[in-house]
Amino acid sequence: MNFTSTPLLIEARSVDLGYGKKKILSGISFSIYAGDFVGIVGPNGSGKTTLLRAILGILRPLRGEIVLGGGSNGPFRVGYVPQRDSIDQMMPFTVHDVVMMGRFGKLGAVKLPSEEDRKKVRLALNHVDIEDIMDMSFKELSGGQKQRTLIARALASEPDVLILDEPTNGMDLASRAAIMELIRRLHSLDGLTVIMVSHLLSDVATSVKKLILVEQGLFQVGTVDEILTEENLSKLYNVPVSIGDFLGNKIILAEPRNV
Amino acid sequence: MSDFEILKTILTEFPYALFGSIVAGMLCAYLGVYVVSKRVVFVGATLTQVAVAGIAFSHLPFIEVEPLFGSMAFTLAATILFAQLLRSKVIPQDSVLGASYVVAIALRILMIQSSPAAEVSEIEAILKGDILFITASQFYLLLGVFLVIMALHLLFFKAFIFVSFDAETASTQGFPSRWWELFFYLTVGIAVSVATRIVGDVFVFGFLVIPAVSAMLIARKVRNVFLLSVTFGAIPPILGLYLAFILDFPAGPTTVATAFMFLLISWIINRVR
Repeated sequence: MNFTSTPLLIEARSVDLGYGKKKILSGISFSIYAGDFVGIVGPNGSGKTTLLRAILGILRPLRGEIVLGGGSNGPFRVGYVPQRDSIDQMMPFTVHDVVMMGRFGKLGAVKLPSEEDRKKVRLALNHVDIEDIMDMSFKELSGGQKQRTLIARALASEPDVLILDEPTNGMDLASRAAIMELIRRLHSLDGLTVIMVSHLLSDVATSVKKLILVEQGLFQVGTVDEILTEENLSKLYNVPVSIGDFLGNKIILAEPRNV
Repeated sequence: MSDFEILKTILTEFPYALFGSIVAGMLCAYLGVYVVSKRVVFVGATLTQVAVAGIAFSHLPFIEVEPLFGSMAFTLAATILFAQLLRSKVIPQDSVLGASYVVAIALRILMIQSSPAAEVSEIEAILKGDILFITASQFYLLLGVFLVIMALHLLFFKAFIFVSFDAETASTQGFPSRWWELFFYLTVGIAVSVATRIVGDVFVFGFLVIPAVSAMLIARKVRNVFLLSVTFGAIPPILGLYLAFILDFPAGPTTVATAFMFLLISWIINRVR
């Protein structure tokens, strides 16, 4: 229970999630408050994406409900950053075109973008340091630039919560560090509520404040120190896991096994 | 006969063939931009065959309805089915389309076999792509469909673009991709069913693919892809009819071959640029 005045943004109440008759997660409950920085972690196939889709409102729970709080101005708005590899585009959309899509939700199906919308787009581009590439074609960008463009699009929608799906997947070390730094900055300087799905525990461990561990029968919500324990991770991945500390960062090592 | 006289003959003797094929070319070329960019080109091939099967169905002795109704009923039913099945992960997309394509051809053959001989020739004219004898009423029907579909697409341009670029995020922003995809496929279904009845399956499938690919090879802005694609849909029918006239070729396939020349030119421009 939260005794502070921090607004509750997302609340899952005894939710079962799945597709058709196939139940993937059952009886899960959690709360996310304004200003939280939440990581959703779990092994491949554990249901991270399923949970994300439910929070986004794309997947209806089989049982229970996910309640979304009121937005700060108008209806509750989610800024979603999908996995960039899920966007396989042949059309020559420019970075500006893509970020403008972030305004479409506010504009509705018919209304055309105004000068105000163009201003908000430029602001979002500037916020993630890509104003100089706004006329470049999205399909010709590097992985890091694409990710920044998708984050700018989410910011252009003026979201109550930023939700990112595997934001650093498939990136080199430098791009990964830069994107994680950007996400941390959006949370700490702008006070944005962030939910991030990642299978890279090191990314999550050094950034988020709260963790949701997704696995049927082992679903847990808590702080990083409560969740990322050797016992939890050994059970989760079914191999012995050791956790150490290096320069204030968690180092997680697992013994190899055949997969 | 000089070039001018040939063009004048086409314009005076076959005005509906000329303007009808231009309108059909522009309509298919516009929708083709989405069809190609969504990588569902085989939907075009399948829907044209479903439309022909619908026309064959309408000629069955115990049915006997206006072929356009048969074409539209079959195509719209297939469109609704595709909109559901293409989202499913149970059957791969290409398998759904492959099975539908071959079943549509098989049904067409079976139904032609059962049709009276006089009507078989009409179906064969569609398959051969004989566009010279487009009637005034067919032209106005095609023009009406073109205007309505273009109006809808321009009105909801943002939604179609967003859903086509990133369906999942569009859903989170108040554009439920499931319904917008269905809406899109219905417009394609109506366009394909009407156009196939009038200009033939080879023309329709050709113009759903070739102008859009040609445009994507050289356009650097999204708006220009649509403008160029529609232009590449409008010009080949004029040249195609002219070439068909002087070479004594069937007009539909000649027009498609002419559109392909534009694709080759676009590809060369793309390579040397």
